[in-house]
Amino acid sequence: MSDTNRNRLMLVIALIMAAIYLFPLYWMYITALKSGSEMFATPPSFWPSEPQWATYAFVWESRGMGRYLWNSLVIAFGSVTLITVLGVGCAYVLARYRNVWVDIGLFLILMLQVLPASLMITPIFVGFSQLGMLNYPRLAVIIAIAAKSMPFFVVLVRATFMAVPQELEEAALVDGNSRVGAFFNIVLPLARNGILVSAILIFMQAFGEFVYSKSIIQAVELQPASVGLNSFMGPNTNEWNNIMAYATIYVTPILAIFVLLQRRIVSGLTSGAIK
Amino acid sequence: MKRLLSSIRDGNGFDIVLVAFPLGFLFLMAGLPLLYNILMSFQEVDMFSLGTFLRPFVGFKNYQDLFAQPETWPILGNTAIFVIGSIAGQFLIGFGLALFFWVNFPGASWLRGLFLVSWVMPGLVVGAIWNWILSGDFGVLNFMLRETGIISGNIFWRSDPNYSLYAVIIANVWLGTAFNMILLSVGLASIPGDLYEAAELDGANAWQRFWTITLPMMRSTIGAIISLGLIFTLQQFDLFAAITSGGPNNSSNVTQYWAWDLSFRQYDFAKGATISVIMIVFVMFASVVYVRSTRHEVRG
Repeated sequence: MSDTNRNRLMLVIALIMAAIYLFPLYWMYITALKSGSEMFATPPSFWPSEPQWATYAFVWESRGMGRYLWNSLVIAFGSVTLITVLGVGCAYVLARYRNVWVDIGLFLILMLQVLPASLMITPIFVGFSQLGMLNYPRLAVIIAIAAKSMPFFVVLVRATFMAVPQELEEAALVDGNSRVGAFFNIVLPLARNGILVSAILIFMQAFGEFVYSKSIIQAVELQPASVGLNSFMGPNTNEWNNIMAYATIYVTPILAIFVLLQRRIVSGLTSGAIK
Repeated sequence: MKRLLSSIRDGNGFDIVLVAFPLGFLFLMAGLPLLYNILMSFQEVDMFSLGTFLRPFVGFKNYQDLFAQPETWPILGNTAIFVIGSIAGQFLIGFGLALFFWVNFPGASWLRGLFLVSWVMPGLVVGAIWNWILSGDFGVLNFMLRETGIISGNIFWRSDPNYSLYAVIIANVWLGTAFNMILLSVGLASIPGDLYEAAELDGANAWQRFWTITLPMMRSTIGAIISLGLIFTLQQFDLFAAITSGGPNNSSNVTQYWAWDLSFRQYDFAKGATISVIMIVFVMFASVVYVRSTRHEVRG
């Protein structure tokens, strides 16, 4: 078999495997377009006979999705900002030095990265309620997410800073820059792409966050889209086309960002987690 | 004062300021809750004493009560099944896919990256989709299994106590496989190619090459991925909330969901804290394994 034929065969197999793996995604998009009766047809149809585009507008209006998505955006942007402001400097210092203190700091950060949110929420909730933080529920969620996700961000961004040659910073210092100047003028611009990719990863995580929002935010008008989806799915629901339309509206922007930036996200992710 | 300012602008003070704020923040928001959790597990906490720190101490009573409850051991058993089933599924399928995509062909790396959409989606959305796919009468999975003759009657994945835990495991395997595959691909790519050339010259077949080169060279990667898998499966909460809510009758309940359920559904914060402490000890153990197996790379 020649090389081109072998490549074609591999590509076909790979496409088939990708199609099988991504079938749940396809099923979400297809179900959202089905009518109430077509959805429960046996055998199920794999292509909607009459696409019901109006479902999207109906779900958007009736579930108040604009408000939910706005809250998700506020929470995601808030936590990304807080994490970036605090985490970049921390990652820089941990990348710049190599001594026992840095090792201890890294170890503590890696340990904090692994604490499950659903276990940490009990003490965080009780503590926040004692401090009166529950009166600002979205801010409380932002802070909780920041504490949860910052270790991951620091590990990823640290890998980026390790790739910036230290000679460049030293040259800037010799040329009369202060440490602050060298950091902002030389090191940060060089690490910009890595920081951006890590921030996008954190953003996608925070955009879908559920445990903290569900536990801390009681007022419906402040809840993010993940909690909205949860309350949409009652135990005996049969509005699956509407739920899938909700999920489609919620997840499509994230998928679009991911597909556009796929290469950078994958390489950023792998550089930090494992080598 | 002037010296301090100039040190911050142009000396080691700069580094200390950069690192002090994030570490302080992490200590306040992750370290203190951890300690507070341990404190609460030794206290009597109810809705009336929620607002005070000085609650009556009860010693190990919460722990004793917890293990006296009939559902505790089944839930711990469910957690073990969930963790082992999820990790085994994610790892084996992920390794298979990684080996397949290791063969270089045009479009391989792009297609491989596409698999990762399952990992970037919000857990609640993944749960909602699988909830619908796994539905008993109208679920598409039952339809496919029926058509291929694997089952004769519908399986009620979410409401049959024999299957409810596996419903969540299936969804979790789907969610985590891509992440396993990507990390395993990175590990595979770092094996020097001349090892295989040498083995081929010596007459080793593909099977022997896999067992004598690939697996031994991947040992530290595999160790890291298994411990990461343990960490991630013990963090999995959204799928339980979206698919079974731990039911029916706790048949699909696991500790990380139960802890939340006790605190926020039954308002028994002390019990919730007690389970959290037990599970966090487990997670810490896994993370020590993980940190040890990635230590060389992390220190760079």
